[in-house]
Amino acid sequence: MKCPSCQRPVDHEAESCYSCGYSEMEASVRYGTNRVMLNRVHDAAACLRKQERDELATAIDYLEINFPQILFSAYLGNLPDDLSMSELGFWLLNHGQVKGAEYVRPNENAILLILDMSTRQVGISLGYFTESLITEEEAYRALLHGRPHLLNAEYGEALEKIFLRLARVLRRKGRKLRKISHEELQAQSRALNENSLDLMPHLAVRAEAKVEEPETVSQSA
Amino acid sequence: MKRILSLLILSAFPASLMAAKVEMPEWEEASAAAAYELGGGLWPTGIVSGNETDQASPTSPVADSADAPSPEQALQFYGPGGVTGDEPIRAEITEGEVPEGSPDGVPELIVEAPAIEALPPIEGDLKDLYFAHAPVDFLVDPQRLLTEQKSNDIKRFLEFHSDESDFHIYVLVIGETQTIPEEIDLRELHREWFEDSSTVMMLYYREVPAQTQFVYNDKVRSALPKSVFDRIEQNTLREGGATDLAPDQVEKMAIELSIQLYWLSRLMEHESKEDQERIAATPIHELAASEDAPELLREYAPGIFIEQSGLKLVSFLFTTLIVVGVILGMAGIGWLVMWWRAQDRFAGSPLIFPSYQVIPRLGGEYSGGGFVSMSFDIREGSNFVD
Repeated sequence: MKCPSCQRPVDHEAESCYSCGYSEMEASVRYGTNRVMLNRVHDAAACLRKQERDELATAIDYLEINFPQILFSAYLGNLPDDLSMSELGFWLLNHGQVKGAEYVRPNENAILLILDMSTRQVGISLGYFTESLITEEEAYRALLHGRPHLLNAEYGEALEKIFLRLARVLRRKGRKLRKISHEELQAQSRALNENSLDLMPHLAVRAEAKVEEPETVSQSA
Repeated sequence: MKRILSLLILSAFPASLMAAKVEMPEWEEASAAAAYELGGGLWPTGIVSGNETDQASPTSPVADSADAPSPEQALQFYGPGGVTGDEPIRAEITEGEVPEGSPDGVPELIVEAPAIEALPPIEGDLKDLYFAHAPVDFLVDPQRLLTEQKSNDIKRFLEFHSDESDFHIYVLVIGETQTIPEEIDLRELHREWFEDSSTVMMLYYREVPAQTQFVYNDKVRSALPKSVFDRIEQNTLREGGATDLAPDQVEKMAIELSIQLYWLSRLMEHESKEDQERIAATPIHELAASEDAPELLREYAPGIFIEQSGLKLVSFLFTTLIVVGVILGMAGIGWLVMWWRAQDRFAGSPLIFPSYQVIPRLGGEYSGGGFVSMSFDIREGSNFVD
């Protein structure tokens, strides 16, 4: 796990980045504390033709039928220079509300594709739950799958391909998860969180110090 | 009475004088030379050179002696070839028995010759065992002249041959010194026993394969020239002559005869004009055969080879087509699998994931900032960004 701002590794339980101090609070200060409404395919850059939008919407409909818990969403825009895609994704997933998404599709189950037309980059932001299902490598492979269409400016088809590739990953993971019991699942989840700490050694020392600091304060008090 | 006593005393006096002398073995050249030959009389005449001169010498006292054995008796050969006389061979000198007249009483050579009984003539019950009824087994050996294991092997082979071939082979085994009774006519017996089926009866003399007799059906005999059968017999006898032991000879001869009969059946099919069309329609059967078998066929039926060469070409083309078809089929299946895997599909039943207990990160309520990105800018200086 990396910090959305500085891209340094962070602990899975860290309240803020050990390197830059970034957190959701800071993001709220920068980009607003309000909630925003999003479409499933939010084309702020107006780069999708109607046919592409319709086809992409149809594909997302099918995906939502197949994965009733997962929220598939896409944001296309021209981001300003001081706003990185990862920060936008982090903020949108915590402050956005996708139209039509009921309570069964919370943002923590979201797969948000972000297409920045100004820097010509594409990214995937994941909620907590989908983050546990899709690894970084699988997400990167999905992006590669849609890259030829992005190069040809077929943005709608590119997004559809990326979604479908991610859906294949989800189906594979879902079949595996179905075979294990609830206790094993919880144990696997705990192990996933515990193993996700990939801090640099000097940062790990600082993290331990931060964890111990409140205890010492309480003792002295 | 006195006269009788005096006569007895006079007669006993020289005997007592002779008894008083120490008895020593005396070498009488005439009798010793004839009684004890070098090698115990087991070696052929040509090997013992010293005896030859003694026996050949007309002035030798042995020749004049009436009690001495004749040269033929003295040098009689009792080796593996057997004795030509009527008496069965017995052990001449056994262990522990000291030969009479040995200089120091120690036998110089102890040889125990094998005790071989002469085979009885084929008559009475033995004759009935051979010729009274049609044989049940393909190998008829009531005297057990072959070893049991080899006999079983040969029987199994002949049974297999009879299952696979039009011709049946019956092998009768008799001793090398035995003869078939005069009243037995093998051809007549063959006619009586095997009139309905094509059968070859092979009469084998133990360890004398050259005397083997073959009896065929009259119909078979008349269908092909005599040279064909001569060739078959030559090849079979040649195989039998390759070894010395009777079981091996019978086995080799049976195998060779089986091969030759296969080609014989092919020849007979070829000779039969009404079957020629059927042969042309029959696919090629490549069976194991001796090297001479194709030669035999080429000599008497070259037409078969011409037909086979044509069929071989067709067979080769057919096989090639099948192989290419299989390869193309497998490639097509592989392509289909890859295409199917590459397809992005919506099919499938709805999938429900189990709930996870997630721990918030960086203060985010729904997301901790998990993010992956990539550039699709192909302008100069642009790179992938993770």
